[in-house]
Amino acid sequence: MTYIAATIFVIALAVIALEWVHRTKVALAGAGLMVLLGVLDEEQSIEAVDWATLGLLTGMMILVGLTERTGVFTYVALRVAQLSGRSPLRLVFLLAGVTGLFSAFLDNLTAILLVVPITLLLADVLGISAIPLVLVEVIASNIGGTATLIGDPPNIMIGSHVAELTFVDFIVNLAPVALVTLALVTAILYFAFRSQLGISPERAAEVARLDPARDIRESRYVRRSVAVLLGTIVAFFFHATLQLEPAVVALAGATLLLLVAGDDVEDALERVEWSTIFFFLGLFVMVGGLEARGVIAEVADLLTEVTGGSRTGEAMAILWGSAGGSALVDNIPFTAAMIPVVDQLGESGPFDDANWWALALGACFGGNATMIAAAANVAAAGVLERSGQPISFGRFLVVGAPVAVVSLSVATLYLLLFQL
Amino acid sequence: MSPLRQTRLVEASVVHTATFLEAARALFGTGISAIAVLDRDRRVVGLFTDDDLLGGVFPAYLRELRHTAFLREEPDALAARLEETGGDPVERHMREPLTVEVDASTLHVAERFLHSPSGALAVVENERFLGMVDEVDFVESLLSELGIERTDRPASR
Repeated sequence: MTYIAATIFVIALAVIALEWVHRTKVALAGAGLMVLLGVLDEEQSIEAVDWATLGLLTGMMILVGLTERTGVFTYVALRVAQLSGRSPLRLVFLLAGVTGLFSAFLDNLTAILLVVPITLLLADVLGISAIPLVLVEVIASNIGGTATLIGDPPNIMIGSHVAELTFVDFIVNLAPVALVTLALVTAILYFAFRSQLGISPERAAEVARLDPARDIRESRYVRRSVAVLLGTIVAFFFHATLQLEPAVVALAGATLLLLVAGDDVEDALERVEWSTIFFFLGLFVMVGGLEARGVIAEVADLLTEVTGGSRTGEAMAILWGSAGGSALVDNIPFTAAMIPVVDQLGESGPFDDANWWALALGACFGGNATMIAAAANVAAAGVLERSGQPISFGRFLVVGAPVAVVSLSVATLYLLLFQL
Repeated sequence: MSPLRQTRLVEASVVHTATFLEAARALFGTGISAIAVLDRDRRVVGLFTDDDLLGGVFPAYLRELRHTAFLREEPDALAARLEETGGDPVERHMREPLTVEVDASTLHVAERFLHSPSGALAVVENERFLGMVDEVDFVESLLSELGIERTDRPASR
């Protein structure tokens, strides 16, 4: 059974990485096989699902989806472009900053779906290529999302799984390194792309003449939606004091917004990306199968053996290993598989958060390496393709892989200096 | 008798080798919201609708945007884009065909219209295209069968 469980998981990861079949279908088929072949019984498969992660994701999708209707995110993105005037330096830093901020407090996949379409329009009006700007945004979204518990799917999974880690813990331990990395990487990307970002005075004037507030004025629910969204984000800071799971905070915020500004429940629920929710569900069952059959324990033992049980060695192996794994197969399944491994490593002693930060940094920063490494990258590539400006795997790799190496080097320094 | 045999069918089609501009002209000429794209054997391989026309004339990223009230009029941009896409093969801009058999029941045709965003269906017999049926014509034919005649349309402004 151990081999069956490992084989199902490895094949599923390979098919997800090769994008032969939609990843949700693969995860559900893998989960189904785990149950049908007796790796897990039905009860175990239900227990394997991390409902807190699914609750947090669903709540945030409803909250952001309903707030998006108001046009407030478009307003912010447009104002940022206007503030940059004719300066490509300001444009790149402001777009990276706003994408990083949206990613940290909404989640990076949502942030990309909010900012990339408006960036395509801006690039068109400014008469420059959209692809450099979108690449900056994708990379900023993966780095910005690293800063909080809700910013990137790997962090959502870690935060929902490890009760000892609060929203504030994530910010205290990850936001500073995310901020430094974002500034450094954005500067590098600016120098790499600056020759493609020349803006003429006429085009800049055209952007300046746009009226960003017009959509907001047409919306009925701006104040209520923004108030509930901001209130929910503030509540995340106090979830430990309130003794509430982050998922409960997100779902409470979503429910409140549905009550005060949701005209139509069906419409609100359509904003939930159900394929992502079912992808997670299938993954949790597959990883549950690995756990039940001892595969996770064996990987943890192997890791201890390789690193000689050294705390620093373990953290470095987790950081670089999870980055490499994420680059190859997507950081969501890789993190799902690594969480029980890190759990096992920490079982013998008192709670030590260093390995969790190593996993978060490795999976999130590793998400920049390839086009398939993070959901935000796939989403941005999809928008670009539908808009007639496709980006190839190779072009992404040329930019993403060096960025991932730089980011991981910063993370290594940070872990060595402040966590180990 | 099937309702479609009593409803006006419009010979609104282009061959699949037609260009975007030829399809756009054909669509204008018929006055309905979709035309059929046919292969050499008059089988329907796609529909070219008002939305596809808009999609071809305006930038592709427009579909990804939800808020655009802030935009200003660009008088020359439209003509420039039409020049860009005008020579594209229509196959690049068409969508999956929605067809209905000429002998279909009233309920089935109504169901197809309810699930057709373009408001027009391709009517076929033995897989061969007979013509397009417009939702307004279909409803008018039903109402007239029920003895309800339409009033004169108000003059447009």
